[in-house]
Amino acid sequence: MKEPENLSAQQSLSIITSMIDQAKGNVQRNSFYFLLWGWVVALANLGMFALSMLDYQRPYIVWVITIPAWIYTIYRSIKQNADKSASTHFDRISASLWMCYAICIFTVVAFGYKINFQIGPIILIMSAVPTFVSGIILRFKPLMIGGILFWVFGIISFLVPNEMQSLAGAVAILCGYLVPGYILKNKHED
Amino acid sequence: MFNDLDPLLHSQLRLAVMSLLISVESAEFTFLKEKTKSTAGNLSVQLDKLSEAGYIQIVKSFRGKKPLTTCSITKKGIKAFEDYVNNLKQYINK
Repeated sequence: MKEPENLSAQQSLSIITSMIDQAKGNVQRNSFYFLLWGWVVALANLGMFALSMLDYQRPYIVWVITIPAWIYTIYRSIKQNADKSASTHFDRISASLWMCYAICIFTVVAFGYKINFQIGPIILIMSAVPTFVSGIILRFKPLMIGGILFWVFGIISFLVPNEMQSLAGAVAILCGYLVPGYILKNKHED
Repeated sequence: MFNDLDPLLHSQLRLAVMSLLISVESAEFTFLKEKTKSTAGNLSVQLDKLSEAGYIQIVKSFRGKKPLTTCSITKKGIKAFEDYVNNLKQYINK
């Protein structure tokens, strides 16, 4: 960039707007976590549904498949954070949002026995918040719709019999994570 | 003509750097260099000027064995940038 003697007001303005635009495009558009968690949770829900149909005593055992996903998520996010060259305010808001969500999920799961393990609908409704807000941050409508659908399926899940809850959960995760995740991925590759 | 425009900001590269830094929390030297399409030497000189004025904060550290320069805007810098933009508005409205 050369340095001209006289910068007109118009030129100044166009430098400011173009640089702000450049920085704005830097918000991480990460479809990876949506796809990873979308598949893991969808499989866990379907597995739980299948096991409860087979009258297995502890169908929730399939949720252990989320443990490696947690470990990989933590590892990858730490590594990614160390590698990026600029961090935006939105990246930080986004990271804290998902971290709060994860902490709340852990808490609900840990104290699930206090509420007779009726945690499915609660988790779905809680998932609505970070998903919808991420949609706003990325200005990405499929995620906003996904967030709203989490809330809708949360309500449905309160109303249906116990064993159907996991099926509602699987459909919710398909709409809330997997569909927006794949759209985001394709958009990013364009 | 532009008497009341901060001369420190009224320069293409410095203004570009400040506009980038106002939009992010912090940015590395390489990020600024890439976005402003400037040379390392020139950018480094301009960053020092902004830092001397107290408009930005420069933190030097290491990533592994590579030196790492991270910049962020200060409160004084935000104020200066806002004043600059407000003054600019008057010129445009005239």
